[in-house]
Amino acid sequence: MRGIAGRAGRRFLSSLPALLGVLVFTFLLMRVLPGDPAIFFASGPNAGQAEIEDIRRRMGLDKPVPEQLLLYLRDVATGNLGRSMTTGQPVLNDLRGRLPASLELTFCALLIALVLAVPLGILAALRPGSLLDHGVRMLCTLGVCVPTFVSGLLLIYVLYYLLGIAPDPTGRIDIFASQPPTVTGFLLVDAALAGDWEAWWAAASQLVLPACTMALFVLAPLARMTRASMLAVLTSDFVRTGEALGLSRRRVILVYALRNALLPVITIMGIVFSTMLGANVLVEKVFSWPGVASYALDALLSSDYAPVQGFVLLMASIFVLVNLVVDLLYGLADPRVSIG
Amino acid sequence: MKITRRDILAGTAGLAAAPLAGPAMAQSRAETLRQVTGNTVNTLDPTMPGSTREAFGISVNIYDRLVSFGRKQSGAGWVFDPDTIRGELAERVETSADGTTFTFHLRRDAKFHDGTPVTAEDVKWSLDRHVSARSLAAVQIQTGSWTRAEQFRIIDQHTVEARVERPDRLALPNLCTLYCIIINSKVAKAHATAEDPWAQNWLKDNAAGSGAYMAESFKPGEQVILRRNDNWKGSPDGKLPFFRRIINQTIPEAATRANLIERGDADLSIDLQASDVPTLAQRPRVKVVSTPQFNAFTMVAFNTRMAPFDNIKLRQAVAAALPYGDIFKAALFERGAALFGADWSETPPTARFPQPLPMKTNLARARALMAEAGFPNGLDTTFSFNVGSAATSEPMAALIKESLARIGIRIEIQKLPDAQISTLVTEKKLPFLTETSIAWLPSTDYFFRNFFTGEQRWNYSSWNNAEITALTAKARFEQDAAEYDRLCRRMIAVLAEEVPLILLWQPNQDAVMTQAIDGYTYQYHRQVDYRDLRRA
Repeated sequence: MRGIAGRAGRRFLSSLPALLGVLVFTFLLMRVLPGDPAIFFASGPNAGQAEIEDIRRRMGLDKPVPEQLLLYLRDVATGNLGRSMTTGQPVLNDLRGRLPASLELTFCALLIALVLAVPLGILAALRPGSLLDHGVRMLCTLGVCVPTFVSGLLLIYVLYYLLGIAPDPTGRIDIFASQPPTVTGFLLVDAALAGDWEAWWAAASQLVLPACTMALFVLAPLARMTRASMLAVLTSDFVRTGEALGLSRRRVILVYALRNALLPVITIMGIVFSTMLGANVLVEKVFSWPGVASYALDALLSSDYAPVQGFVLLMASIFVLVNLVVDLLYGLADPRVSIG
Repeated sequence: MKITRRDILAGTAGLAAAPLAGPAMAQSRAETLRQVTGNTVNTLDPTMPGSTREAFGISVNIYDRLVSFGRKQSGAGWVFDPDTIRGELAERVETSADGTTFTFHLRRDAKFHDGTPVTAEDVKWSLDRHVSARSLAAVQIQTGSWTRAEQFRIIDQHTVEARVERPDRLALPNLCTLYCIIINSKVAKAHATAEDPWAQNWLKDNAAGSGAYMAESFKPGEQVILRRNDNWKGSPDGKLPFFRRIINQTIPEAATRANLIERGDADLSIDLQASDVPTLAQRPRVKVVSTPQFNAFTMVAFNTRMAPFDNIKLRQAVAAALPYGDIFKAALFERGAALFGADWSETPPTARFPQPLPMKTNLARARALMAEAGFPNGLDTTFSFNVGSAATSEPMAALIKESLARIGIRIEIQKLPDAQISTLVTEKKLPFLTETSIAWLPSTDYFFRNFFTGEQRWNYSSWNNAEITALTAKARFEQDAAEYDRLCRRMIAVLAEEVPLILLWQPNQDAVMTQAIDGYTYQYHRQVDYRDLRRA
């Protein structure tokens, strides 16, 4: 166990230069983009040069860029990510409040996707070329082809507007329901901790549509990867040996073949998770989900530097973390693999 | 156990009542108004630089001002009435004979949300804040000659006097605007610091007002929940507003907002897509209140200080070439009031502004003007608009491009993000653009002062005309109604002659609501004043 912790620590340290690079790059990129935030936020009838200068001073944009960068690095080191002009709140607070929303959605979507994709992939691999295989392929292609905002709006239209089965697709919990006290920020967890099953149910039913929309989109890479990897493993010697020894088919497939086929699936899972977290902005917009991605997009449109920089830093850190977790999972799936 | 029909009914009733049981649910759904909007409320202090329009709307309901605009019936609905000014925190206002001194007598029973009485000291502190602090308020109310703290004087605990040097026509209307909120000075001072003497940081997230509603929860970018202040005394008829609870929720997707209203889960939205509104109006459960925004206008502006549009003849040529009717139909579905095609020449029939100007499509005249302007071979230029307004601006740009090609003007269309276009407009770098703008105080000299003189962003055409500058400076302090009228007509006539920009229309505000909502009023700030609304 100490070995794992030590390795994880070393991995984290070695990722620091990359994080610093991301930080500096985003900082410079934001300043190269056209559009002056000070002018955008000075919107009074007579907003003249004086008001614009004042906002520029408040945002710290009156100083030369290298000095701004040093000040920013100092602030980040002390845990201050600046203040958002769009929401008027410190960026750290905003991100802290919104990250659980995004994570909860992404975790649930990933779970749904895995529960669907892995069995589908296995089934397709067992009968390659069959009707089932083609069906799975079609489902995956559809999921990838239809943009998430289309499938999201379609689900809303059918399940909420026409049939009235789904709750109104706005936010994390029914607006008229009482919210459980915040402990972790994950509503499902908080509601369960508080024993408030009504709130749990309200949050869960609110989560189903956006999570399915996202799951549909990432079904393809997971299912296809499972299928390809299973196909390779199923023709290998140890599977043939297992079958020759008269082990049950279920045991051969689920225990021996699947475990060996999982490595590439775990890799893809890590990538899919990171992409989902950043790229679910459309889903967040369609379902009014108060997550980090839609927050960053709003900030970007109004050239609000601090939130965008904070968001990119957060995403980079999560990416590092996810990679670490994936490497640790390798070890569980296949003890022969170790991370260095 | 035997389950009877009665048990099932009782159980169902219990289930239905269950969500209403929590403490936050003390009010019934009927007494709750749920407004859905695509934008966000980012502050509770409307004077914070960068406040959104939705934040303005919320602040109107949380804070009181000394005075406020009345409302009047217009067509099928209600609109604000800039000519009637009623007391809100002030019981009555006395204006001195020379129009320079205003005496405000405060309501003796008015109380802040924390229960302390509203005193002259709070009023003085708040007004001092609006002229002294670095905020949006200072730049707005200077248009009514309010610039220094010395202008406000406490007479006694319930009386405040305010003086201007010259009788400014907009002195009192400026105190009606939503920046001139009266803040609980004791609470605010307790949260002021040496660097922040006006408690601007604290008031961003906390309210200290006396208004009809109190902020119950404020999550920027998600929702604001307001609870009725049952001790409120500021209403014109002494009654409390109908709704006990207001939910203002941010829902970025316009289609979802429309669905919510159609299903009756939300009550009101004022920012749906214009193209969806006609369909929605057909639905049985939905009601649409469309009001032309009579204090706003959409225009195409020329940069009058930069070649080629510093040439009057060229501007007149463009004005004669635009296919006004087609643009109005294609871009706005005629949902608004047209500001073109009038029949007058020389002098306008009224002194109102914006009013329709005598712009008509006449290609032969446009071609002749092009030649006179010295562009027999035409020219190349760009036409820019804001991505946020693409729904109307895109068809508009296409039609303008097509029609100007006929007189030899070749246009490249430029679609720019919000921050970028505001930067370029402020730096006066765009030759030709479209924008929609609004003035809170719809008086003609105010429009001309803000949009047609000076260096600020709102002077979209960077127009610098000595006569207009002189006329606006004079009209601002003109007490004689007939003379004011004459000055305003002259301004409008010069505008129509020199075409620094071409007025197109006043778009409708389409407030879409469920059938039962009643009393919606179009306000100068274009947001919802919850105090006007009731459920029938």
